[in-house]
Amino acid sequence: MIELKDALRKKEIWAIGGGKGGIGKSLITGNIGICLARLKQKVLLVDADLGGANLHTTLGIGVPDTTLSDFLNRHTENIQDVIIKTDIPNLNLISGAQDFLDAANPNFAQKTRLFRHLETLDADYILLDLGAGTSFNIIDFFLFSDHGILVVLPEPTAIENAYRFIKSAFYRRFKKVVTHQGIKDLIDAAMDQKNTMGVRTPFDLIERVKQMEKEVGEILELEVLKFRPKLIVNQVRTKNDIQIGFSMKSACQKYFGIDLEYLGYVEYDDCVWQSIRSKRPLTIEYPYSRPSRCIERIVNNLLRKEQFTLSMLY
Amino acid sequence: MIKKIEDLNFYELLEVSPQANAQEIHKAYERIRRVYDPNSVALYSLFTSEETAAIHQRIEEAYRTLVYEDNRKKYDAMLRNRNELPEIPSPPPPAPKFQPRPFQASPPAYQENQHTGSGPGAMPQATPQPGQEGVSPVPSFVAEFTGPVIKLLREQMGLSIRNIAEMTKVSVRYLELIEEENFKKLPARAYIRGFLMLYAKALGYDPDRMSSDYLKRYDAATGFPYSLRKKPQV
Repeated sequence: MIELKDALRKKEIWAIGGGKGGIGKSLITGNIGICLARLKQKVLLVDADLGGANLHTTLGIGVPDTTLSDFLNRHTENIQDVIIKTDIPNLNLISGAQDFLDAANPNFAQKTRLFRHLETLDADYILLDLGAGTSFNIIDFFLFSDHGILVVLPEPTAIENAYRFIKSAFYRRFKKVVTHQGIKDLIDAAMDQKNTMGVRTPFDLIERVKQMEKEVGEILELEVLKFRPKLIVNQVRTKNDIQIGFSMKSACQKYFGIDLEYLGYVEYDDCVWQSIRSKRPLTIEYPYSRPSRCIERIVNNLLRKEQFTLSMLY
Repeated sequence: MIKKIEDLNFYELLEVSPQANAQEIHKAYERIRRVYDPNSVALYSLFTSEETAAIHQRIEEAYRTLVYEDNRKKYDAMLRNRNELPEIPSPPPPAPKFQPRPFQASPPAYQENQHTGSGPGAMPQATPQPGQEGVSPVPSFVAEFTGPVIKLLREQMGLSIRNIAEMTKVSVRYLELIEEENFKKLPARAYIRGFLMLYAKALGYDPDRMSSDYLKRYDAATGFPYSLRKKPQV
């Protein structure tokens, strides 16, 4: 049964996304979870990658019997039933859906129900591993969370998708706060980069909205300030790759007007690949490897609500 | 209030404070210039090549305006007219006196015509600031540079440990240990002396005075044999 003290317990929900597939979202989520659990925090990992779930594999757990889809499709009413205990103390998992094609597209009511139930659980941190892509399902999970974390690789493809992701999340957030149908249509149109109205950047959009309804434009400006996604650069090979995080921060400030918080980077190392091959979590199999250390630093920054600075390099 | 990139003033564009000194502006310029390089992977798909070129041109303009005292004064006055800068400029926080010494004998003199072409290779050097080499007098209340005193002096200057770490490249942890006088956890004496010299330079005090004061306390606490100690090379 849900205990009152569990429900009142202050918990944070973090969502880890990034747009592109294969950039290490699940790996980073799993290992951030392990690091937090080691710090004696109660952690629940939720594989929200509906349709492509493999968070359990990064933790070395076989195909689970109960998954998130059992809860979403109301095979069970109690979210506790789908929680799997892992071998790691303090770390629990809700595995992603394995079965229906439908499960990959839960409707809005199913998503809010999931979040309502997550809020009642006994955990300090709930980590959502999001799927690839920028569909509304994924964006909604990202926006529902207390903190949204973006993972990118220092490659044009991943960076392109990350910006696409930020843009989608941004405009989706805008659409949630406006009721005026005309403005909603305008936001939809602005999503298309090649729109004919000359709306190139979020600034253009806000200006246009202000012309239509000044108050709504001001609400949107406020939304811009409240939206503070975080960034992790994965598979870093050179110092220039580390700089990409700072550059993206600056570019986001100037293009979107948003503050992208740079949490840190994870170095590229073969041991990551070896840990995946052996189906053993990286931070357990290679705790002293450089990527593990990088993840620890990221967790540290997350807990202290700090950002990565160059002085942390040495 | 959020602003379009074209509406940012030069300080906002270079991401520096209006109180920044020439050296900080130069550093910021070099950084921002790299960020908005046309080949920068971090901008991929966000800006068109024309937009990047326009931003680049503005960055050059911002730098040329801010790095020269006369141009900067005119520009500040203009910003004040537009109410973008406070009317009475607040006194700048005591600037750290730390001046990294260039390895080259002297930086090449900057010439205006060098980059009027605005080629990507043209990169002016910061004009070194005169009158920053001096050492601040030790405040009268300081009898001895102890860990807590150093901490107090740093805080009075409005500098965080992280600022000092960035200036000195000494890790935050060691700086904290120095301030706490946690002698057991600090590394060997010779390293501490090196850290203190850098720290003193960053704060603008006499490095020899600060390190010798501090090390005296260190020796007393750890029982460092005096007979083995050489007179520090000045």
